[in-house]
Amino acid sequence: MRKLLQREFAGFITLALFLIYLAFAAPSFYSLGNLRDIALANVSVLLISTGMTLVIVVAEIDISVGSLFAICGVCGGLLARGGLPIWMLPFAGIAIGSALGAANGGLVSFVKAPSIVVTLATMVAWREALNWATGGAWVENLPANFQWFGLGQAAGEAVLFSATAVLFLAILWASHNLPAFRSIYATGSDAEAARLAGINTKLVVFAAFVLVGALTGLASVLNAVRFSDVPANAGIGLELQSIAAVVVGGTPITGGRGRLMGTLIGVALLGIIGPALTYLQLSPYWEKAIQGGIILVTVLFDALASRAEKRPALA
Amino acid sequence: MNRATKRQEFILALLIAVEIALFSTIGKNFFSAANFFECVRLAVEIGLISLAMTPVILTGGIDLSVGSMMGLAAVVFGGLWQVAGFPLAAAAVCALIVGLLGGGINALLIARLNVSPLIVTLGTYSLFRGIAEGITGGARSYSNLPASFLYLGQGYIAGVVPTQMLVLAAAIVFYWLLVHRSVIGRAFYAIGLSPHGARYAAIPVTRRLTLVYLLSGLASSIAALIYVAHIGQAKSDAGTGYELIAITAVVLGGTSIFGGSGTIRGTLLGLAAIVILEDGLHLAALPAELAGISTGVLLVLTIALERLASRQRAAVAENQEFEMKNSQLAILCSTVIVGALIVAGSNWYLVKNLRSGTSGDTTAAKEGQGRLTVAMMPKSKGDPYFISCRAGAEEAAKEFNVNLIWDGPTQVDPAKQNEFVEGWITRHVDAIAVSVGNAASISTVLRKARSQGIKVVTWDADAAPDARDYFINQATPQGIGGTLADEAAKILHGKGEFAIITGALSAANQNLWIQYIKERVASKYPEMKLAILRPCDDDRDKAFSETQTILKVYPKVKVIIGISAPGVPGAAEAVKQSGRQDVKVIGLSLPNLCKPYVHEGVIQAVVLWKTRDLAYLTVKAAAALARGELHSGATSFQAGRLGDVKIEGTDIILGSPFVFTRENIDQFNF
Repeated sequence: MRKLLQREFAGFITLALFLIYLAFAAPSFYSLGNLRDIALANVSVLLISTGMTLVIVVAEIDISVGSLFAICGVCGGLLARGGLPIWMLPFAGIAIGSALGAANGGLVSFVKAPSIVVTLATMVAWREALNWATGGAWVENLPANFQWFGLGQAAGEAVLFSATAVLFLAILWASHNLPAFRSIYATGSDAEAARLAGINTKLVVFAAFVLVGALTGLASVLNAVRFSDVPANAGIGLELQSIAAVVVGGTPITGGRGRLMGTLIGVALLGIIGPALTYLQLSPYWEKAIQGGIILVTVLFDALASRAEKRPALA
Repeated sequence: MNRATKRQEFILALLIAVEIALFSTIGKNFFSAANFFECVRLAVEIGLISLAMTPVILTGGIDLSVGSMMGLAAVVFGGLWQVAGFPLAAAAVCALIVGLLGGGINALLIARLNVSPLIVTLGTYSLFRGIAEGITGGARSYSNLPASFLYLGQGYIAGVVPTQMLVLAAAIVFYWLLVHRSVIGRAFYAIGLSPHGARYAAIPVTRRLTLVYLLSGLASSIAALIYVAHIGQAKSDAGTGYELIAITAVVLGGTSIFGGSGTIRGTLLGLAAIVILEDGLHLAALPAELAGISTGVLLVLTIALERLASRQRAAVAENQEFEMKNSQLAILCSTVIVGALIVAGSNWYLVKNLRSGTSGDTTAAKEGQGRLTVAMMPKSKGDPYFISCRAGAEEAAKEFNVNLIWDGPTQVDPAKQNEFVEGWITRHVDAIAVSVGNAASISTVLRKARSQGIKVVTWDADAAPDARDYFINQATPQGIGGTLADEAAKILHGKGEFAIITGALSAANQNLWIQYIKERVASKYPEMKLAILRPCDDDRDKAFSETQTILKVYPKVKVIIGISAPGVPGAAEAVKQSGRQDVKVIGLSLPNLCKPYVHEGVIQAVVLWKTRDLAYLTVKAAAALARGELHSGATSFQAGRLGDVKIEGTDIILGSPFVFTRENIDQFNF
């Protein structure tokens, strides 16, 4: 078991214990409707966390995803209102997100500025620029076929869910099998060794930021079409949520390692806490404390487990 | 200290000089001793945290939990003093101990168990704030602190020097000695460069790291005490977002985020750059969003410039690692151009948007012509409710020929509100109108404004009565709470369960309305029951998810009351998608956001006043006060297109709240 799950172990055990507890304390949590709603609410978080995993594996970080999310949503809304065919919206989101991601990646990999500083700067700058440009106003009066891509609620939900699942599985497969994705691990593990092995490490880092930007853009559009208009303040705190999901999933922040299955577990764990607390009828005032506590317990569990394992001295 | 750090400090010092030169030209009363000390006062809390953050980052770590620790320490201090009856000094000591304990948790996990600092402090970031919210139920706050304590945050030594400046000075000396003049400080650098190497060099790495995080917790709790004394109130939201500002200051000051290089002096320069920028923007009446944008540009610029300089130098020293390539130059140039484009684009937007000439950016020139300047502050600039108010304010400014400065925090932040008012006092505007986020904290500065001859009105939410001339009363909290309860009762026929989706748990206004909803229900509709209350953080998507869950967990809930402009459409969308025809939504929101749902019958009633008229009346009243046309004791006054408006005591009454329904909502567009 431990071998199979490797570093996701701690997150997996916490999630399993939590789910088992819920099965006794609030069995109605497992209704189909509830699971569907939770899954849909976390589609965008999963996409972003997937990109974030790759960025963290390459030993960088991106804390600007929340701001990118807001910008892509508003731009998507404006484009739809401006008459862009609805089926092109996801591609527009990907394009805008990639461009913003490329700005981060360019500064990190070609100017060699530390990623936490670059994305801290872009996080604040893009957010405030958006606030300023929109004055906080929502994008309203969207065409009728904006919501659910005009497919209706049931079909729209299915499209969202399957698109995310396919994309996640594709990246999961690629991360194990494609040389391009293996070079992400190589670069994150030891950039100099990777360079000597013929990998263009700068390009790899750049590509990781473009990818997280693209996934954020797509996530933003997929989230936006669940509603009939786009708010200007979306995605606040999304960066912390997705980073937390990645690290709870066992990806070390130092790079070079980490698996997307772990990230899926992390997203699931953090995604069910909120609704589960309502099901357990706990006071909302303690919610943040419980969330922080669960992250810490997972981390502690992981630390103790890896201690007990008596790793070889060199690790 | 290495060369790169020195170079970045030099670049930063140049940038600060540019800032000062710029704001001295375009800002009013910027270059004065009084403003200097005001800047310092604003810098103390952030300064303490940034100082403590410097060794943390020097050792290659990070501490995201400092802002949350401020909230927890503030609440512990206030609670022990007011509820448990501790003497002030004992409560303060306990708050400091809590800071040490929090730092100890971080230290234990980071130093002992070798967990990454980013993850640990991400966890404690939620944990500390969560405990603070849990203890106070989000809403409770502790004020009425004795003047002797408030002196720490509001007083002046010898009439000019802010009291808390001494604390900052002591902290600077302490950290300078610790980092630059002690064996322990050298150990920080060694650990940052290589923890393994440091261990082999017989440095007690675990103990040094423990010390760093303990000090960080302690500094946060000291900052919390000063914060409480500064704004006169202890509440769970103290220090929200301070961690990012502190990290920005440290990194801006040339400390490497990977550890091993950096100085205290650099941090102080970084701090100065940020504080001067914010203060200067207030005094130049430029919009607050510029602060964030320019901080971001500043960060990238200083680092990029430093890299560029280091590369040029390294190229000479034939270091193969650093070669200046055309592509690198191109990226640097494009970054600067993008930054410039953003500024230019937003300026264009500003001009286009405020063609009426009421904007702040040209006020300096116009003030010379004897026009009055009215500074008006919303609780948060981005809130759709306040955006709809702004139109009325601009209409009135044009009609009555006054300059209007419309600015405020971009997110609800009581401490920021004080900074704006301080800036306006230094600028010496003619009248200030504030939508108060936190009465206890802002009243002190408003009194200061009045004592300097500035007319003060409050609108939307009131301060202490003696801190303002008039309050523009759009509707009493009783009126709003009562109307919402009545509307809910109408749908439920006085019987059944309802749920409330509120904005933030710590929002004072919302909590007051909820209290009056509960009172009205208890007294008039005994068969109605509040099933659950959930926060949505003024986020439409969160309101949506919360409502989805509520519908499933509480199937008996038939009415959802949303008390947040984005929350009502969020709740309505959830009800609509669930297909539940038997559940209705009502709440406080804007007609435009709710129109589609009102027509579909999901939202039955939106309660609000005419926001445009509220702001219009506010500007008119402020201008009339400043011109001497409105005196205390008046019983009515002529307010332009609104006609004669009634005054009760010091409340200027707009009228009762308005209920928008399917029948009348199409007549309104805001």
